Amino acid sequence: MTDETLEVPAARPVADEAVDAVTAADAAPREDRWLDQARRSTAFWIGLAIVLLGVGFGVLSGGAFTRDSNLLSIGLNSSQIMLLAVGMTFLIGAGQLDLSVGFNVIMSSVIAAKVMVAVGGTAEQVAARDYPNLIPAVIAGIVVAILVGAAGGLLNGLLVTRLRINSFIVTLATSGMFYGVALILTSAANVPFLPQEIQTYFGAARDPILGRVPLPLIMALLIAAVFWWVMRRTRFGLHTLAIGSSREAALRAGIDVDRHLVKLFVMMGVLVGMAGLYDLVRYASTNVVGHQTDNLQAISAVVIGGTSLFGGVASIGGSLLGTLIPVMMGNGLIILRVQPFYQLIVVGIILVIAVYLDQRRRGGMA
Amino acid sequence: MSFDSLPVDPAPDVAIEATGIVKRFGHLEALRGANVRIRQGEILALVGDNGAGKSTLAKILCGALAPDEGALSYWGDPVEVQSIAHAYELGLGVVYQDLSLALDLSVADNLYLGREPTKNGWRKWLGILHRDRMRQDARAALARLGINVKSMNVPARNLSGGQRQAVAVARAMLWARRAVLMDEPTAALGPKQTGIVFDTVQRAAEDGLAVLVISHDIPRMLSVAHRIAVMRHGVVVAERKASDLHLNEVIGMMLGAEVPAA
Repeated sequence: MTDETLEVPAARPVADEAVDAVTAADAAPREDRWLDQARRSTAFWIGLAIVLLGVGFGVLSGGAFTRDSNLLSIGLNSSQIMLLAVGMTFLIGAGQLDLSVGFNVIMSSVIAAKVMVAVGGTAEQVAARDYPNLIPAVIAGIVVAILVGAAGGLLNGLLVTRLRINSFIVTLATSGMFYGVALILTSAANVPFLPQEIQTYFGAARDPILGRVPLPLIMALLIAAVFWWVMRRTRFGLHTLAIGSSREAALRAGIDVDRHLVKLFVMMGVLVGMAGLYDLVRYASTNVVGHQTDNLQAISAVVIGGTSLFGGVASIGGSLLGTLIPVMMGNGLIILRVQPFYQLIVVGIILVIAVYLDQRRRGGMA
Repeated sequence: MSFDSLPVDPAPDVAIEATGIVKRFGHLEALRGANVRIRQGEILALVGDNGAGKSTLAKILCGALAPDEGALSYWGDPVEVQSIAHAYELGLGVVYQDLSLALDLSVADNLYLGREPTKNGWRKWLGILHRDRMRQDARAALARLGINVKSMNVPARNLSGGQRQAVAVARAMLWARRAVLMDEPTAALGPKQTGIVFDTVQRAAEDGLAVLVISHDIPRMLSVAHRIAVMRHGVVVAERKASDLHLNEVIGMMLGAEVPAA
């Protein structure tokens, strides 16, 4: 659109009739047909890629890939990363990064597990798998996991905004801090004597209707739906993208950028705490040697999903789908008895392509 | 709140006054005791050569910078403007030289950023945006400025430089309750759109808004503004009625030398 398309009588105030005419001509909302929007949406293309992957692996594996038990496995594996990817979508949308997520997951799961065991009963009772205070223990565990995760997020947020150090460096540093705390508390061993009940009642539970979808996955999707809605429909989501798009514009609009960023990091911390609970619920134990590449997986999922590393553009739906690609890839390759290490290479290639396309999209328009 | 219904607060004659403003950047004295007075219902053009201190003075007036010395008053009350957001709360709208639009956000989002209308009732508490209202009001606000943008939902990045500027001007006019400060508002606009912007500015002044415009386009300023303030070397060397001045006199004051009539 060029300025020359304007047709306005010169040197006279714009008459009300002219205003009405322009407004009327423009009144019919020119929202694109959903098909056009879908074609342009990255989430659509990833969805397509996932379907193709699913069909491809399904055919190649003679149906083993698409078996219920395997889909279950994929769902569970991705649900934890989905939680992290949701929070990461907001952070990257605001122009920030959080590398400490995996380590914060370990720290919060470890502290929650210890609290759960401590509240569940005396040392002897617990060692004998007897939990007289099971319910309070579980509740305490949930609360503590979320609080510890949030505290880690708060630390990240304060370091970034008060000390004005960029988030990449801050979270690189706190990665070590969180992991160190976890290892000290556990002497690098997993926390023993967690009640099996949490695994049987939550980890292995299924949805009430079909009886097939695992509860942790349902919860992850519900949480993602809430955050999708926050991103798209609320002031909070809009301000997040504004800060990512132009910190200056956000400041000049009166947005308290520092406070908003701290909220985002704390929000990430809450999701980290929930992801920590997933460990406990799935394995009835912690996983102190795991989670080393959670940060990379979450960031890859988000970027592949269409959220821009430059900030200002974000897609929760894309991030969810973006989570599935590495998970499906790894799972499918194992079933086909191909070395799963190829997954690492493929995901790396996909990530580079995604970032390159993101840059093209931004570079071409700015 | 729609564009039309924003009331201009009744206020004393002088909207914004700055006296004896001094601002240093290290060894550089950008402002050396500048005085300026913007009156209600009046368009004051601030002109001067590069480096005269126009933008610095504007930044101090709108709260982006704090003066080293001098006093600032808004609507007759002495004030220390803490930040641009504070200036907004006090009723000042600003159009910047560098646009400060968030390019990834839509036109409607940019117009309402920081002041988004929310849906009523319990949904207000959750901060749910009233996107329909934003879209409609945005369309009306731009139409009033004679700007035709196909969709209020396109990211600002997709607009031409002139259209982005128009959105920035619309944003300032939308929210200013008493005064508007514009730093080179028509730099990226073609002649037609420049005319439209200043038509709107003139009507806003007639409604009682106080306007300060910084511009290099002196001929335009002579025809549009009520008064012209000329800056040189960090001070305002003259402030006169535009109708009393000729182009060569203004340039002469800017440069500190006699300039023969063209």
